[in-house]
Amino acid sequence: MARTLMRFTGVGGQGVLLAGEIFAAAKIKEGGHGLKTATYTSQVRGGPTVVDITLDDEEIFYPYANDGEIDFMLSVAQASYNLFKNGVSEGGTIVVEPNLVHPTEEDRKKWNIVEIPIITIAKDEIGNVITQSVVALAIANTFMKALDDDLLREVMLSKVPAKVHDVNNKAYDLGKKYALEAMAS
Amino acid sequence: MELREVISTGNDLAAEAAVDAGCMFFGGYPITPSSEVMHTISDLLPEVGGTAIQMEDEIAGIAAAVGAGMAGVRTMTATSGPGVSLKAENLGLAQMAEVPLVLVNVMRGGPSTGLPTRVSQGDVRQARNPSHGDYRSITLCAGNLAECYTETVRAFNLADRFMQPVIVLLDETIGHMHGKAMIPTVEEVKKGIVPRKTFTGAPEDYRPYGVGADEAAVLNPMFQGYRYHFTGLHHDGKGFPTEEIETCRKLIQRLEDKVMMHTDELELNEEFMCDDLEENDVLIIAYGSVSLAAKEAIRHLRAAGIKAGLFRPITLWPSPADRIKHFTDKVKNVLCVELNIRQYTEEVERVSSRLDIHGLYKVNGRAISPYEIVNKVKEII
Repeated sequence: MARTLMRFTGVGGQGVLLAGEIFAAAKIKEGGHGLKTATYTSQVRGGPTVVDITLDDEEIFYPYANDGEIDFMLSVAQASYNLFKNGVSEGGTIVVEPNLVHPTEEDRKKWNIVEIPIITIAKDEIGNVITQSVVALAIANTFMKALDDDLLREVMLSKVPAKVHDVNNKAYDLGKKYALEAMAS
Repeated sequence: MELREVISTGNDLAAEAAVDAGCMFFGGYPITPSSEVMHTISDLLPEVGGTAIQMEDEIAGIAAAVGAGMAGVRTMTATSGPGVSLKAENLGLAQMAEVPLVLVNVMRGGPSTGLPTRVSQGDVRQARNPSHGDYRSITLCAGNLAECYTETVRAFNLADRFMQPVIVLLDETIGHMHGKAMIPTVEEVKKGIVPRKTFTGAPEDYRPYGVGADEAAVLNPMFQGYRYHFTGLHHDGKGFPTEEIETCRKLIQRLEDKVMMHTDELELNEEFMCDDLEENDVLIIAYGSVSLAAKEAIRHLRAAGIKAGLFRPITLWPSPADRIKHFTDKVKNVLCVELNIRQYTEEVERVSSRLDIHGLYKVNGRAISPYEIVNKVKEII
């Protein structure tokens, strides 16, 4: 497997960091290398946050994604989208929450922009907005085919309390379903 | 050495290393980007009968840790650059009174409040002389996740060997990055612990500071019948203040010599792809998280037919002067890459007696990317 670079962006407090940790841990469990780095501002909540995830079979040294090399980005906040979109390689996929992020026409020409209402899915269909990070995890993995679904789900469940396993399983299933639908359309 | 695989962050690994190395006390005050060291050790220490305490500020945090060191236990504090500024006076006291202590500094942008959540290596010069007076700081610098663990362990052993504070420098990138590390087993760490020396003779013969000219003080644990005095003033063999000319001279000379005559016990470097370097090749000197970008850059450069290697000091202070000179004598193109402005380059210039060392520096809180290093190398060759 060549290097996979993914970037999750949002605002502080949305929980995008956990998705990055799950990806890295699952890749390591598979026998490879995974690294997660997060960049955030001094604001506790509300500041633009970016999480870079690097997965590789070889040892990874530099832990950030190089601008222009990112294969996949997911964004749930306009400010972060604007700040970090240029890291994505031309033709790369950017999944946005259409209620919160409005890409320009030029952006749509440059990248494969996919609209999935991640937060609405978490809030209305699953009933818990916190599960958006697991919805995002499933969407990213479905697009990138980075890791075995069962392995990623197993690592995800190991990081959340047992009492919320059902709701997170549902979040994973729905994320995958919406991603497959978006890929088919 | 037997290793185990862990998935963790640099800050968490530093905290775990402390506990595995026998640390029994942590005094501190949370500060970004080091707070997780304190969070994690606060969970771990009570489980082994130790104590972690959040004090009212940075100064009290290190003061409590110094007190624990005086009492005879392995002790630690953690902070970032602004905290080191506040802790400077107590670091000086621990140097003068020869109290072993580990200080983990997870560097962020400075000076002053700077860029709290961003990466920097701006505290390298500060680590060399955090307070006034003559002494030799021992400073180690982790360049990957595993070293956040191993260098913290090493810091505890060196603190007890040299009887003084040892600084472990992490930076925001290394402290917060989350991934795989292969680290020694707890048994291996326990096997490597060398406790500080103690005096076992008659209490009336005990002179904790009355040691050889290049030796560290021998401070027995408190409450065991060996009485002595701690002070920041110049002091005699029992630790009591004195202005006697020869005693004062010998004391400060000993603080210098106890470190500088034993640098062989301190030096630790990584030489990455340096074996085949010749005169017209490129030597990159970098430490901490910047060395990760440098290694990636060297992969790209070698793929493009440019022979480059990395010399990475792990013990920053005292600097590995002979080894740096060995390489700077041999290789013409030397590039120092730092997240500050020339803080270690000046040391490289000093020990190499060369003024044509190239530099790549960044001070806006962002990391230096491998491509920036590649481009700089292409510019200088």
